[in-house]
Amino acid sequence: MNVADSAIKSSRGDRLFMLGVYVFLCIALIVVLYPLLYILSASISSPKLVNAGEMWLLPKGITWDGYTLVFQNSKIWSGYLNTIIYTVLGTALNLAVTLPAAYALSRSDFVGRTLFVIIILVTMFFNGGLVPTYLVVKDLHLINTMGALILPVAVSVWNLIVARTFFQTTIPRELQEAAQIDGCTNLKLFVRVVLPLSFPIIAVMALFYGVGHWNSYLPSLLYLNDDAKYPLQMVLRQILVLQEMTAETTGAAISGDIAKAMNSKAETASLLKYAVIVVSTLPIIAVYPFLQRYFVQGVMIGSVKG
Amino acid sequence: MKAQSQQVQALDGGLPLPTKLAERASLGKRIRRNWELYLFVAPALVYFVLFHYLPMYGVQIAFKNFMPAKGIMDSPWVGFAHFERFFHSYYFWDLIWNTFGISLYALAVGFPLPIILALAFNEAKNGLFKKTVQTVTYAPHFISVVVMAGMIITFLSPSSGIVIKIMAWVGIDAPQFLTDPRWFKTVYVLSEVWQSAGWGTIIYLAALAGVDPQLHEAAIVDGASRFKRVLHINLPTIVPTITIMLILNMGNILGVGFEKILLLQNSLNMESSDVISTFVYRTGLVDAQYSFSTAVGLFNSVINAILLILVNRIAKRTSETSLW
Amino acid sequence: MGSYAKTGKLLLAASVGIGLLAGCASNEKKGAASATVNKEGFPIVSEPLTLTLMAPDTGEQDWKKMKVLDVMAEQSNIKLEFRNAPKDSFDTKKNLVFASGEYPDMFYAAGLTTAEQINYGQQGILIPLEKLIEEYAPNFKKILEENPEVRKSITAPDGHIYALPVIDMSQHWYRNPIWYNGDFLKALNITKLPTTTEELYTYLKRVKTEDPNGNGKADEIPLTASNARDVNLRDVRTWLLGSFGVYEDAIYVDDNKTVHYTPLEEGFKQYLTFMNRLWNEDLLDHESFSQTDEQKKAKIQNNQVAMFSNWNAYMSLGGEPSTDDPMYAPVKSDMVDKPVIAENAGITPGAFAISSTNPSPEASMRWADYLYSYEGSLLFSKGPEGILWKYTDEATRTKEYLPIPDGGTDREKYRSTLTPNYGIPAPTINFDDIDKGLKGDFDMWVMKETQTKLLDQGARPPFPTLFLTSEEQTQINSLTSDLNTYVNQMEAKFITGAEPLSNWDKYTATLKKMGAEKMAKIYQGAYDRWASN
Repeated sequence: MNVADSAIKSSRGDRLFMLGVYVFLCIALIVVLYPLLYILSASISSPKLVNAGEMWLLPKGITWDGYTLVFQNSKIWSGYLNTIIYTVLGTALNLAVTLPAAYALSRSDFVGRTLFVIIILVTMFFNGGLVPTYLVVKDLHLINTMGALILPVAVSVWNLIVARTFFQTTIPRELQEAAQIDGCTNLKLFVRVVLPLSFPIIAVMALFYGVGHWNSYLPSLLYLNDDAKYPLQMVLRQILVLQEMTAETTGAAISGDIAKAMNSKAETASLLKYAVIVVSTLPIIAVYPFLQRYFVQGVMIGSVKG
Repeated sequence: MKAQSQQVQALDGGLPLPTKLAERASLGKRIRRNWELYLFVAPALVYFVLFHYLPMYGVQIAFKNFMPAKGIMDSPWVGFAHFERFFHSYYFWDLIWNTFGISLYALAVGFPLPIILALAFNEAKNGLFKKTVQTVTYAPHFISVVVMAGMIITFLSPSSGIVIKIMAWVGIDAPQFLTDPRWFKTVYVLSEVWQSAGWGTIIYLAALAGVDPQLHEAAIVDGASRFKRVLHINLPTIVPTITIMLILNMGNILGVGFEKILLLQNSLNMESSDVISTFVYRTGLVDAQYSFSTAVGLFNSVINAILLILVNRIAKRTSETSLW
Repeated sequence: MGSYAKTGKLLLAASVGIGLLAGCASNEKKGAASATVNKEGFPIVSEPLTLTLMAPDTGEQDWKKMKVLDVMAEQSNIKLEFRNAPKDSFDTKKNLVFASGEYPDMFYAAGLTTAEQINYGQQGILIPLEKLIEEYAPNFKKILEENPEVRKSITAPDGHIYALPVIDMSQHWYRNPIWYNGDFLKALNITKLPTTTEELYTYLKRVKTEDPNGNGKADEIPLTASNARDVNLRDVRTWLLGSFGVYEDAIYVDDNKTVHYTPLEEGFKQYLTFMNRLWNEDLLDHESFSQTDEQKKAKIQNNQVAMFSNWNAYMSLGGEPSTDDPMYAPVKSDMVDKPVIAENAGITPGAFAISSTNPSPEASMRWADYLYSYEGSLLFSKGPEGILWKYTDEATRTKEYLPIPDGGTDREKYRSTLTPNYGIPAPTINFDDIDKGLKGDFDMWVMKETQTKLLDQGARPPFPTLFLTSEEQTQINSLTSDLNTYVNQMEAKFITGAEPLSNWDKYTATLKKMGAEKMAKIYQGAYDRWASN
């Protein structure tokens, strides 16, 4: 069999394979896209038509009330700002603590690493619960400060393990040994050699942690008292409170005041639900395409050679 | 210098065993040589001690009758009373069965899909199409549970749901997705997969970025087809990541969350939809029962931990990857 | 290295602090200020006083800018600091506050359950109020004297009162009423509403078959309900159960003072049989167990539904309040001479409480007492005079509405910026006089419907608001969850036919095995104690 022959043969097989890949991706695209478009349309459609199932793809009975209501809220902009600050600083802290630890734990010549890994894994299963954790935060004088939102979530075990696995499997051991032979200290090795090789995992960690901060709600509920410090999710939840109430109090006669309050909101409540999703997630979805370039095959090895 | 590197390799690779004396000497040496690595893990360890180990005394309320005014330490002991109450609940075995069922079902369907999707993304040519699909499949991760459940109920509504209408149009008699207990787990799991598959690819994409292009070049010269290269180069590269993800998932098998289930639950599908977390939630509605929910949580943790240890052991035996 | 040493110290300090805290929740007072509390009139305190208050927040409001609270602060000389939490997660925060030892001075609209009142009261976190009521709460004291059952309902088994209630004697509904769609009645030429279950069945059947909405399609849904967090049918159940001589909810007391557990009663079986018939003939919406409130509303708005439950019919039908859609009058079955009708007891316990760390319980009690006076209740429910309303005749307490300021169109929304009493169970009493002159024709009509169809027909609270002892509560807690789950499931299965009614005996046997009779017995004990007080 000569080389040219096999190249043609395999390229026909390859074309078929690629067709399969694209068909698969197209199906994935359509299946996922439909509900997303539905949400976009529902956020500007008449709630009556949405709930009756008459709006099924394109907006019907267009109304911008949902967005008007969201942006009328005076706290929404401070919420955005707070969330951005918490996300940026929180993620920076996460990376600064997680990456070095993950790297150290990935080194097989690191004496005691099994012990450390087990110490860390135990916390995945056993925790003291809400109250003792609250007391620690309180004793550190973090209540009502940004520290309460970022320090108690400084490291996620899951992410730490994922990062460690990455270092373990993708950083060639020979590289580290060579560097050490050259008299390179561990710090230099980590900063000058390992990190530049690890853009993909840095991007993943930044994304995982960043999204965690962006969506975080419980810590601000537990630890913040001042609503000027509320992050976006907290503000949005407040906007949705009455909507939630309708679901919980179905049938229960509470009082005329509450019933009227809920009724005056009911029309917009189901609109708001969709508008809020769009408002809170568009910014974070927009970040993703910028991170995608770090997930391209060969990006890493290329940087080593360069 | 060269000798040192040989030694490192010898110890790491488990090559010829050094004498005991040499080992002891090298242990001290190794600790000293890598002293910086201890500083690397120090902040993380401080974090775990401060925010996880210090509060861990709270676990004891599982064996106590927690009274807020008395505090955790001074609340009276009740032994295994809370555990017994849980084990003797009329629904105990249903809860266990449903929780395991949903988790394993979700794992069986939801675990491979992100891997396949990631491999497909990796093959697609860089460009607008790839970027679009990637971003679109990632987006559902951000949809809140309330909206998600609302959409499921709307799409599957027997009178107006789009899925039902399409099925009728194709000529399929649609089952009662929302109220038939036999369908609950499928509805739950498929919607879960829909929401998280794209997000799940991220980690594998990062791992795939580590594939050495030289391997592909060599394989092309050998005449390997694209499919074969994916199978024999790309897939093996991410196997360690897959293994670790699988172990971590097994360690969370009883951790099925309550929010979405609660929103999709109704009296008719309850027998297959009620899981441990929804049970605890309902118990808590009657009264804030810290001790009881801590006890159930502890039970979950113990089972989860056992599973994780087991799976980790299997992984260690059959592959080179394991948690410790 | 310096920073690590510091962290170590921090760590040590934290562990010591926790040990102390876990050992004892701080109980010391911040110095009593009772000397300066005036026993009547305003200001309440001569020296300015700042108190912290914890309440559920319904969202868009800003408590720091509410006119009502400004007025209150000015006249009382008590400034408030808020430690509010969003309403949907209020319980989480409330539990944490109790458990962490950092209490606010006052709990407002906190919805403290009777169990919480006993627990936190006996643990000393909430202070007993009865002596303070005696001395510092003339308005509330008067209410207790005039309504002995209120005192009975808010007094814990240990004889203490730990929280003040919401009292609303003018809100009689136990659940939102069911309403008839007036258009359908007209189309089918119904002049007399059904009075028996058979007549009701006939009516529903006619709706199904005679196309009352006149669109040529058989898309009518005679009766619909919705599912909210596995509480199926709650919105219609209560009204239909009464036809068979039993009250809704697990526990009720009959006229002979015997406590019953509803799911075991023969009347419950008859109710299931009737509902099963409606289900089989498609007279009960087959989506009743799965649809959301919104989906239900969409159907009603679409003019497809004959009977549904809501606060007022127009809230579901859309459009303006209308007297064309009559209220459902409970019908009777062959089983009984007349239907039993549940009425709201009018007392919601646990609305206001004072914590042990409050520096001036006396002043706090006076502050709360104002909410139970005519003036205070009016201020908190309608806002200060001159914004949304004004007196036309102050002597007779007659008022009229003013146009909504700033060109607004939503009176309720504007009201929510004035007062905290918006969508939360705030401590207050509702006086008939408050709405004098403000009630429109529609409100009067609803009141008349309630009077003639429910109250005049013998409506009464199925079970009084009362306290269980801690032991009783513990037992009930461990019984309730499983029982409710089982009953809810079986109700749905019996109605839809997934479980044939011939299995009724098996069902009751299981209930008994799960402790249903024990539940009734515990409540019987609590009831006897309440009745003999």
